[in-house]
Amino acid sequence: MRPRALTTFAALAGAPVLALAGCSGGTATAPAADVTAGVEFSGTLSILTKFAGDPLSPYFEGLAADYERMHPGVKVELIQETDQSIKDKTKTLTASDALPDIYFTWTGNWAENFVRGGRAADLTKVIGPDTPWGKTFSKASLSAFAYDGKYYGIPLYNNGKFMGYNKAAFAKAGVKAPTTFEELIGSCTALRKAGYEPVAFGNKDGWPALHYLQQLSAYNVPGATLQADFHPATAKLDHPGYLTALKQFKTLVDECTDTGSGTNGVLYTSAQEAFASGKAAMYYQEVLEFDNATAGRGLTAENFGIFPLPVPAAAGGDPKVIEGAPEGYLVNARSPRAALAVDFMKFATGLENAKKLSAPPYGQPSTVIGAVTPETSSKAVFEGIEAVNRAPQLASWLDMVTVPEVADAWLAGGEALISGGMTPEKVLESVRRASASAK
Amino acid sequence: MRTIFHRALGLAWVIPALALVGVFVYLPLVQNFGFSTLKWDIYSGSQEYIGLENYRKLLDDPVFWSSFGNNLLYAVVSIVFQVFGALLLAALIESIRSERWRRGLRAVYFIPSAISLTVAGLLFYFIYEPNLGLLNHALEAVGLGQFGQSWLGQESTAMFAIIAMSQWQGFGYSTLLFAVAIQRIPSEIYGAAAIDGTGPVRRFVHVTLPLVREMTGLMTMVTISGAFQVFNEVMVMTSGGPDNSTQVLGTWLYRSGFVRNNFGYAAAIATVLFVITLGVAMAQLWVTRRRRVEW
Repeated sequence: MRPRALTTFAALAGAPVLALAGCSGGTATAPAADVTAGVEFSGTLSILTKFAGDPLSPYFEGLAADYERMHPGVKVELIQETDQSIKDKTKTLTASDALPDIYFTWTGNWAENFVRGGRAADLTKVIGPDTPWGKTFSKASLSAFAYDGKYYGIPLYNNGKFMGYNKAAFAKAGVKAPTTFEELIGSCTALRKAGYEPVAFGNKDGWPALHYLQQLSAYNVPGATLQADFHPATAKLDHPGYLTALKQFKTLVDECTDTGSGTNGVLYTSAQEAFASGKAAMYYQEVLEFDNATAGRGLTAENFGIFPLPVPAAAGGDPKVIEGAPEGYLVNARSPRAALAVDFMKFATGLENAKKLSAPPYGQPSTVIGAVTPETSSKAVFEGIEAVNRAPQLASWLDMVTVPEVADAWLAGGEALISGGMTPEKVLESVRRASASAK
Repeated sequence: MRTIFHRALGLAWVIPALALVGVFVYLPLVQNFGFSTLKWDIYSGSQEYIGLENYRKLLDDPVFWSSFGNNLLYAVVSIVFQVFGALLLAALIESIRSERWRRGLRAVYFIPSAISLTVAGLLFYFIYEPNLGLLNHALEAVGLGQFGQSWLGQESTAMFAIIAMSQWQGFGYSTLLFAVAIQRIPSEIYGAAAIDGTGPVRRFVHVTLPLVREMTGLMTMVTISGAFQVFNEVMVMTSGGPDNSTQVLGTWLYRSGFVRNNFGYAAAIATVLFVITLGVAMAQLWVTRRRRVEW
């Protein structure tokens, strides 16, 4: 069949389908949510969380039970997902116009898509920095969900990435916590001699490599350049710092991990376990994981220390930037219960619940001012969150801050770099191609 | 008059089933083709008609072609193991005199097929794990430690490791089907062949092989069709990585839609997948309609 004939055939076949698709994928013309309306305490409130599994799932279950007790006319319906499964779930619900009243979000491009698509309610009037509720949050966490001067997200907890280390292992190997990236690489030989895997690392899912790459890129590439390169419309991706970051990451994998070029075959949780059980001396982890690392499988809280991934010598970026971002919730812009949704989230982010969230066993450092204290949180979580709060700039997760095609190219490139399938130059080339095609 | 009434009545009985099949099978197929002609933003809900642009993109997409290649590799290996290998094993099992042994061996080979693909995938993930995995430890135990590696972590071995797991999982089921086909061959034919002085190899080539031709054809088609519908094991074991080296059409479809937000493009891959499996299904129908082997 000739191409033109094919196109005609496609158009003819597609026409009735487009008519049909109107009822499945088209924009619903639901009334915009009124978040300032009087709250009606009745009906079912649906919430999509990222707290499935132990130890997190009881948190929202407890909130729901408490809220239902306070308001007997309200039933809270929880859909609890994991960090991995929530991505598919959210997109499926979005495509089928079935988003719940309240749903989890990351910052960056992920949240921006919901804002751009008119699926996130504008919460400026209730959570803006000058509102009573807004004043209970740290300004930076609110700003992370601000687009065009409007506030859309309810930040639930803050997060940052640090190198966790086993103090006993370091003492046995006779090394100190490194202050430069070169020192970190240098300490690996001594740690290995002392009988430890220097750095536990599992990249089966691809994104752990992105976390290293994002932090190293932020150290090696000026912030303004990084920001421009996240957006395909302004991206050039030609700063030499990217190549430096890729090479540094490859060095770390080759010299400090036991599996080296085979780490794509290791689960993230296996690496987590190697560190928690005391087999590995270091493990690059999120604040959200700190309490899990010392949950009694070998590594004690006293022996657990953290430091930011050390800055490489002569790095051309910002040495004070820390990788991390708050995570939070959006209210469905088409929800008929938007005011109730806001009320529930006010309850969830009250100081008492915020402290509960920040304390073990949850260990999710709340963005609510005064919730994370040495009394309520573990020492490491408090220290980590203090460092995040002090950082002049946060570098958001690479797979969330840029568009999916580019994030996917970084992900595949990171895997290929580890296995030796691609050179740093080739990885960057593939990212540039993805960025150009996403323009 | 009565005949017409009976026919109409028969049709009335069939209508609900037809309606269900139409709504749940054929309508989604047509809809999917429609979606493949769109640039669909799931966030805003906007759907822009772009004709066959997604199909043109497919032609220039190296991951699509490598995924297609992986499906083909799957099909070839599966035919070797799950058709010819399984047939050979079934013939060996059925040649054993002891009924108890035959039953026992059939059960042993069938057990892996009773395990869900997801569970088998997870099980093999831990067998292949480079640090704690059984395979590397076994190699080390027999003095072949130098061959141990990250089976799922390297582009050169990951796809073969997944395919090996699939063969292990599906081999027993094919063997059982061939065993049933061999059991249907009248023993008199084998008796006559034995009187003629044929050995076991010639009996297999000249008696078993022609008389299970129908099953062989059917199994070949089912295997090819299954090879193009692979999804679970890849998703569980590698998610298509490292560096997209283990993507198959099913997982690339999923990734295009649910990770890269390109649902129109994902629908185009789904259409290609449908055309391939439809072709195989038609061939399968043709094979089964051929004159049956009779005795």
